[in-house]
Amino acid sequence: MIVKDAVCPFCGCLCDDIEVEVEGNRVVAVTNACELGTTKFMGEKRLKNPILRDGNEWKDITYDDAIRYAADMLLSAERPLLYGWSGTHGEAQCVGVHMAELIHGVIDNTSSVCHGPSILAIQEVGHPGCTLGVVKNRADLVIYWGSNPIDAHPRHLSRYTRYAEGFFLENAFRDRKVIVVDVRKTETANIADEFVQIKPGGDYAVLSALRAIVQGKTDTIPRTVAGVTREQLIRVANLCKSAKFGAVYFGLGLTMTQGKYKNIRNAIELISELNRHTKFTISAMRGHYNVYGSNEVNTWMTGYPFGIDFSRGIAFYNPGETTAVDILARKECDAALIVGSDPAAHFPRKCLEHLAEIPVVQLDPYPNATTAFCNVQIPVAVTGIDAEGTAYRMDGVPIRTRRVLSTDYLSDDEVLARMYALMQEAQRS
Amino acid sequence: MTELLVKNACVIDPLSGINGEVMDLAIRNGKIVEEVSDAAEVVDAHRMLTMPGGVDSHTHICGTKVNFGRYMSPEDMRAGRTPRRGAMHATSGYSVPTTYGNSYRYSVMGYTTLLEGAMAPLEARHTHEEFTYTPLQDTMANTLFDGNWGIMEAIRDGDTKRVAAIIAWTLKAVKGFAIKLTNPGGTEAWQWGKNVSCIRDPVPYFEVTPAEIIRSVVEANELLHLPHSVHLHCNNLGTPGNYTCTLGSMGLIPDLNKKRQTLYATHVQYHAYGGSGWKDFCSKSEPIANFVNMRPQIVMDMGQVMFGRTTTMTADGPMEFNLYRLHHDKWSNHDVELETGSGIIPVVYRRKNLVNSIMWAIGLELALLTKSPWQCLLTTDNPNGAPFVKYPEIIALLMSKRYRDAEFATIHPDTESRVPLPAIERELDWHEIAVMTRAGQTRALGIQDLGKGHLAPGADADVAIYPFKIDEVDPSAEYQRVIDGFSQTEYTIKRGRVVARRGECLVHGSNATFWVAPKVPENYDMGKDPDFIEKFDRYYTVRMRNYPVQDEYLTRSRCIETEAEL
Amino acid sequence: MSFLMITGRTVNQGVTVENKTSPEYAAETSTCFMHEFDMMELGLDDGDAIRVTGPCGDVVMRAAASLEVEMGTVFVPYGPYANHIVAAGTRSTGMPDFKSHVVEIEPTDEEPKLVHKLMEDLGGLAYDR
Repeated sequence: MIVKDAVCPFCGCLCDDIEVEVEGNRVVAVTNACELGTTKFMGEKRLKNPILRDGNEWKDITYDDAIRYAADMLLSAERPLLYGWSGTHGEAQCVGVHMAELIHGVIDNTSSVCHGPSILAIQEVGHPGCTLGVVKNRADLVIYWGSNPIDAHPRHLSRYTRYAEGFFLENAFRDRKVIVVDVRKTETANIADEFVQIKPGGDYAVLSALRAIVQGKTDTIPRTVAGVTREQLIRVANLCKSAKFGAVYFGLGLTMTQGKYKNIRNAIELISELNRHTKFTISAMRGHYNVYGSNEVNTWMTGYPFGIDFSRGIAFYNPGETTAVDILARKECDAALIVGSDPAAHFPRKCLEHLAEIPVVQLDPYPNATTAFCNVQIPVAVTGIDAEGTAYRMDGVPIRTRRVLSTDYLSDDEVLARMYALMQEAQRS
Repeated sequence: MTELLVKNACVIDPLSGINGEVMDLAIRNGKIVEEVSDAAEVVDAHRMLTMPGGVDSHTHICGTKVNFGRYMSPEDMRAGRTPRRGAMHATSGYSVPTTYGNSYRYSVMGYTTLLEGAMAPLEARHTHEEFTYTPLQDTMANTLFDGNWGIMEAIRDGDTKRVAAIIAWTLKAVKGFAIKLTNPGGTEAWQWGKNVSCIRDPVPYFEVTPAEIIRSVVEANELLHLPHSVHLHCNNLGTPGNYTCTLGSMGLIPDLNKKRQTLYATHVQYHAYGGSGWKDFCSKSEPIANFVNMRPQIVMDMGQVMFGRTTTMTADGPMEFNLYRLHHDKWSNHDVELETGSGIIPVVYRRKNLVNSIMWAIGLELALLTKSPWQCLLTTDNPNGAPFVKYPEIIALLMSKRYRDAEFATIHPDTESRVPLPAIERELDWHEIAVMTRAGQTRALGIQDLGKGHLAPGADADVAIYPFKIDEVDPSAEYQRVIDGFSQTEYTIKRGRVVARRGECLVHGSNATFWVAPKVPENYDMGKDPDFIEKFDRYYTVRMRNYPVQDEYLTRSRCIETEAEL
Repeated sequence: MSFLMITGRTVNQGVTVENKTSPEYAAETSTCFMHEFDMMELGLDDGDAIRVTGPCGDVVMRAAASLEVEMGTVFVPYGPYANHIVAAGTRSTGMPDFKSHVVEIEPTDEEPKLVHKLMEDLGGLAYDR
């Protein structure tokens, strides 16, 4: 059987043109997907049943016992942390928010260690953006800044930019210029028309220089800015101003370096400035396939995209205080529920030292680095493979993932809904 | 079977011709019935004012741009927070509340039906997801067609039936309720950073004019026999002198429908400006109201501005960019491929600002100068003119000359020479307010036959009981009592259940979503049209099979099937 | 020698990210990409073990020459090895300094640990069935 137009649950491109060949309830071939997506669709070695850490051993337990354990753990916690959420569908994320509200917990998603700083910048200056198809059909200039799509979003170039066909471009490959700005000469830099290499930590200065040039203050620019020559800066600014439609896609090269959200703020203000001359948009290269969905769900349900603390009943938001890394590093939370992410692989060690000291329950199909810190892990169906649900693409377009296999695994929202029901029942009595 | 008897209700139900009659309302299984058994639960209304549940025919509450308004505005979220309490979830936000915040606050004001003013088809799933979390109102969505490539191409080819066919396919696919045109043609031009100046200015590349778009889409709307008319946000919003453009747009509209208007012009306050610039900016509410008074085919809503902080959000991307250049606050924009766009900026409307003061006056003037309340409905274009929680103050302003004068004394002193408001004596009565807040919306949306907006047997039992008696309140003098009375119901009843009482929401609820499915002949089915399919595949970034909104997204689906005349 | 350590995504890290207990994931995320002149200076060949010391600890990785990095900087794919030495401070943003750590690098005879072992060192219990 071949499932057409399947939706890839790997990165924020959320490609929905995948063909998956299934034989005997196993994926045997994947067409159209990149290497990352193909590997995910073909993934095996799932955890077979819930497991419980018992001293220095792992024991198999039932779903009922595992769900009960999680509910009890969260109910008895004083400051529970509910973290992850980017690797699951929106319906599960909604249950997570209700749960956090019920137990006065903190709910945070992986954007706090990804594009959280981009969101902080947007909250200061807004976000001139667009859907990916607008760029595909119109953009004659695309800038990748601190992002490396060949490695992180492999089909971004072929579906939307460098190698994509565009309605208003006669010969898209020829007529569309690509600029890459990075501290490393990445693979993506090799396919660019222009590569701007910045000294690490110099993004803010280079953005400021470009803003000055766009505003006509070219005289103020020194010979080099963070390793970039004045001539190249002027050339890039002119390319921007003379483009009919320009699009910037930025990555963690801006959010994780010195300056963090101030870098993004500067980039957005450059784009707002360019809109006085021509049409320009800027967007974040979101990582997980549904990290943006998690921001969306949190926002319509609580008012804030991530880092939401219900300890005082109301939704309270203060990144740096109510975000997962900070809460763990301060040894503040006394229980953690992890869904759809792997903090043990991605958080600094100090956070893991605290995870080792508190009860942890994880919902994840696979054993991962966080498994080692779990008291209980509950395997679930993989959204986009054996579970359906809503995901939001990096540009905010929501797509319903397809189910290509049927298995006995419960989906995240089924497990969470059962947990939530137990918790509501306990609170009533 | 559940039964409820509302006794001693002083009912104003304009669609049923009831005006202040004290009567009982019998409710069984969510519907109004002739009578109920003795076992029915009883609510004694003690002769308090009782009306059909409020209907908002133009509000921004759910979907991509609304949520982005929240996302970019933690300062607004902090400005309105309540904890989880009883059946109520936590809420945040003042001008763009969370979905629960919207739902609870509307419910406490007696509103039971809401129309989301602008939904981009590509992102419809998002709107429907948020509808699910707006549990205490029935919902429906205006669907944006202002920059739709397929439609502009069909208009260029002179093929109105194809325009209708594309609309039919799209509305059905995205489970939309009605056709919305926001700055027709302008949102496409904006994807090049440009705009159209008025209705005769051609759209770049497509070479059709806004006038052609408006006319063809109005015709297509009637070919499809949709319950609502075309819902138009005119070109040129917010610019001095734009009233001529508004009159020109309204002048395009023939009278094509016996049951309702042929054009719904939304937030007309923003389109009724005179002057050649900000220096001689003035009200042109009179020519607009006079024009509408002579044309039954047009219904408008006010788009009233109220002073204070709010967030503006619209599909009209170029207008928001212009506003950004005036305000220099944060600006978001979101263009949607092949379809439309949107923009968002926060604003503060100030009494000390002359332009803002004139805007405030214009909205009221439109309502007071339009003779029939059925033709000018009460809105703020929530949250653009003000958050909907300001509706009670607007009602009081319309009912009290004294209140208007008291407010007028606090605004910019030069306003007097720029607006006719001080000379208008009219004070609206309770019945007119009932028309402007529910009955008029119901008729304009064409949902009366679906059991909305009235209390005759067979209707959905959506009822608002306000905690005052109309014969004991003089609205002209006691305007604070009017404000308080409309701010919080004694009871809000939705589908036969008491959902809100004195400011508390009592049940979790679940919404119903109204959408249309026009039936077209086989040769007009765009799902099978090779040209349509090919363009979709080449230029959209979502596969055609993944585009339609699945049934899973509608908790209670109320599909309205129509027979298209193609 | 001191270096600026930058972390980031790679295709191989992405391909193995859903199978973090695999040797391939460990191999990818314990690779430290360096400029070849820097490697020469430290007397390193491709694949040699190095001790990388950051503000809150040290970890053993393997050096690999790369044309993509400048002298004075090293690149490590996201994962448990880099995070073993990254500090948890976020400067009130929620985001650690993942791309701006100064680290010391020296050759070592020790071998990189397995991911399991790293997790157990921090108090976890590996699951490998």
